[in-house]
Amino acid sequence: MPPEDIKAPDAVERPGHSRRDFLRGSGLAAAGVALAGPAANEARADVETVDGVEIYSGSCPIELQVNGEAMSVTVEPRSTLLDTLRNRLDVTGPKRVCDRASCGACTVILDGDAVYSCTTLAISCPGHEVRTLESFETAEGSVPHAFHQNDALMCGYCTPGFVTACQAWLEKNPGKEPTIDDIKQGLDGNICRCGTYIGVFQAALDAAKAMQNGRA
Amino acid sequence: MATWPETTKVIHTEVPRLDGLAKASGRAKYPSDERPDGLLFAVVLHSPHAHAKITKIDTSEAESIPGVKAVHLIAQEGATVRYHGEEIAAVAAESEEVARDGCRAIKIDFEVLPHAATEEQALAEGAPKLTPRGNTQEGRAQEDGDPDAALEQAAAKIEGSYSLPVITHVCLETHGQVVRWDGPDKMTVWASTQNVDGVEAEMAGAFEIPAPNVTVFTEVMGGGFGSKFGADSWGVTAGELAKKAGKPVWLFLDRVQEHLTAGNRPSASAKITLAADESGKITALVAETQGTGGISRGAAFPLPYVYEVPNSRRVHVDVRVNGGNARAMRAPGHPQGCAMMEFAVDDLAEKLGMDPLQVRLRSLAEEDTVPSGSGEPVNRTEVYRDQVELGAKAIGWDRRKSRADNAKAEGPLKRGFGMALHQWGGGGRPDKQVTCIVNPDGSVEIRSATQDIGTGCRTILAQIAAEVFGLKTTDITSNIGNSQFPPGQASGGSTTTPSMAPPAYNAALKAREALFAKIAGALDAEPGDLEARDGVILVKGEREVPWKEACRKLGTMPINVTEGYLEGLTAQGVGGCQFADVTVDVETGVVKLNKIVAVQDTGLILNPLTWKSQVYGGVIMGLNYGLFEELVMDPTTGLSLNPDMELYKLAGASDIPEIEIIPFDNEQMRKRGVIGVGEPPTIATAAAIGNAVANALGTRVPSFPMSPWNVLNALAKA
Repeated sequence: MPPEDIKAPDAVERPGHSRRDFLRGSGLAAAGVALAGPAANEARADVETVDGVEIYSGSCPIELQVNGEAMSVTVEPRSTLLDTLRNRLDVTGPKRVCDRASCGACTVILDGDAVYSCTTLAISCPGHEVRTLESFETAEGSVPHAFHQNDALMCGYCTPGFVTACQAWLEKNPGKEPTIDDIKQGLDGNICRCGTYIGVFQAALDAAKAMQNGRA
Repeated sequence: MATWPETTKVIHTEVPRLDGLAKASGRAKYPSDERPDGLLFAVVLHSPHAHAKITKIDTSEAESIPGVKAVHLIAQEGATVRYHGEEIAAVAAESEEVARDGCRAIKIDFEVLPHAATEEQALAEGAPKLTPRGNTQEGRAQEDGDPDAALEQAAAKIEGSYSLPVITHVCLETHGQVVRWDGPDKMTVWASTQNVDGVEAEMAGAFEIPAPNVTVFTEVMGGGFGSKFGADSWGVTAGELAKKAGKPVWLFLDRVQEHLTAGNRPSASAKITLAADESGKITALVAETQGTGGISRGAAFPLPYVYEVPNSRRVHVDVRVNGGNARAMRAPGHPQGCAMMEFAVDDLAEKLGMDPLQVRLRSLAEEDTVPSGSGEPVNRTEVYRDQVELGAKAIGWDRRKSRADNAKAEGPLKRGFGMALHQWGGGGRPDKQVTCIVNPDGSVEIRSATQDIGTGCRTILAQIAAEVFGLKTTDITSNIGNSQFPPGQASGGSTTTPSMAPPAYNAALKAREALFAKIAGALDAEPGDLEARDGVILVKGEREVPWKEACRKLGTMPINVTEGYLEGLTAQGVGGCQFADVTVDVETGVVKLNKIVAVQDTGLILNPLTWKSQVYGGVIMGLNYGLFEELVMDPTTGLSLNPDMELYKLAGASDIPEIEIIPFDNEQMRKRGVIGVGEPPTIATAAAIGNAVANALGTRVPSFPMSPWNVLNALAKA
């Protein structure tokens, strides 16, 4: 069982984005997930209460907000957000590469933050807004367009993560004219094997400029 | 003898790749994204031991788990697994989570055997015998001239020992496929492969069904780098599971398996004696080399490399260890041979007290003839000379100081410059075909089985058709990655574009000819009166008929032409050089790249935008090899310690220095025709970085990668 200092909060907070928070969460995931409050949907789940904390196992029907759409899905407490999107909801834009928060290919935007969906549990996401790159604008001035024009991709398997990290950075820093070092720092959570970084940097700079000019 | 058009509007211009927006918006469907109805997810169970005999396998508990639909044994009872990560079994289930439960529930009794996971262990006395013939296999011995006499007469000679570790491909999309049976003897495979036709043949063979009944799709794929040529055990396993379950099966390796069983670049080490005369020309090389390709062979590499060495002797040994099999990896053997040779050349120049750039120029063969598609053969030595001049200027070679001066520099930060030369083939194969279809609605389609592994091949084929028909690249549908289409080149050896461009050009030319013959009458003209350009058919040089209107004259029948190779459009044998400017912190051992310059020739550059991406990509893969990568084996347990992406290091955004790419592009080069560029630009990078580090420190760091550990160890010994 999980260590006793873990008490379920009154309402499920947004899933931790830091590695420390994630590790705390994954300890729970070993046996099930402790949840309480509105996000816990116990219709088909096996629920056990230990010291006032509800422990979920088995199958849990949940509802996720993905790209502005409510999606009902049955997950296990251990199911990651990434696998839920890809394997259960056919939202395959985010990619599974390292599966342990090293490479960023699985990046999605959760309530405005870029997060690694491979290390975010799906069951912690109801009530929060998930955005994947399929929902991004693609017209001139958009991040995907800038990647395309700058050939900031080759095999393209890391690209969804870079595009999403870039989009999240721009949304967090509206109107800021980034330096190349800002861009590098903003994209340091992502790895490309084909070596498209030079194009990626230029795409990010171009997208930032377009955003400043109000085109995206 | 065919030639590419003298003046072009689409070819040799920067065209964004056709599938770029789909990839950048998450809409492109990779094989691992395919979700046919009723799909099951499969997970592979791999060996947790370096060397063990499987005495018992019990799958009954796994099979009884609700949701598990099929279990398949890849290794049987009594088999011996020979490395950590070797495939044993696979489970298909309604969800991937349940499939993992299924793998965990398979009970296996192992008789653990003694292992030899490193070359040192495999060569030690009393080492376990990994094959009936032992743990070593000698390569072909090389001898040229009289190396002993040449060494005796040499003005200077050095003895060096250098080594490179095993690295892995780290394809971001792991190896795998989705397999669906469409009948008892018919299947569809969505494969992450660089060899669509090869996978078709292998799957047909494995299941004894006719090849035309196997359709392999590779619309896009997430990286191969030489490791994705076959259907592999997991491809056949997915087929077996799908057959047993009666449902389509998704099976992709996990990241650990990708590192351990899906291929690697073998290690390389060498003891080299290299000698030169007073002018700095290399006169002799004697080398003992070694490497491991894991449990298989494959650790050969070229040496001598690039330079003319009149007297040489070399012996090579492949060492087998309990490790995954080597596979071709981007310019197989060349990065190793280049690093070994270029380290020795640099150390020899130091001994001579000469500029290593001059030693290199003096040691090139006087004549190094490489073919040209439609021009005169080229002396590659002259190409190298021009390239070195360009590169030296771009990096600021004149700022380079001697090792001795750099070592005396004040403070912990030492700056150094290094360089290296490389070569590659990259020619086309003459046996591939392309179909070109012109429809009455004016749409134009190119078809071939070949695949785009990220190089931009899809776009290039469309550019060629666009050039011929006077259209825009985006007007052409480039349909590739389908084994039902005419035979396409496997993406290896930088041969894809040079193999596919000539038949694409040929098919487009013949289709245009057929189109003109068909519609000329309706346009009140002879076929010879027609020209296709700028989106119109020009009749007798004056009347413009819009392309679509002209095509409508076809009536109901499209033009459909399949053509093959044309002589004169491709060649092989490229050269290149790279330069590195580094700063090394002698207190921390951290190497910081300031700048890399890459000069590369590859004949006619069809799309400078995607060409540049390939060269950047090659350099970045090379700097990973130079600075970060190493698959670490634990001698005690025989297991790999870093089959992941945090302890197996790859460059991130902050690690990328300024990179200057100089295309060696002139009329003589363009006349050579199309030559592949995927591999050459990754060869010399690590060697150039290693030489820059030696220059900065005043001492050689003999072992790659140029990590703090290896740098500080070298400094401690200096």
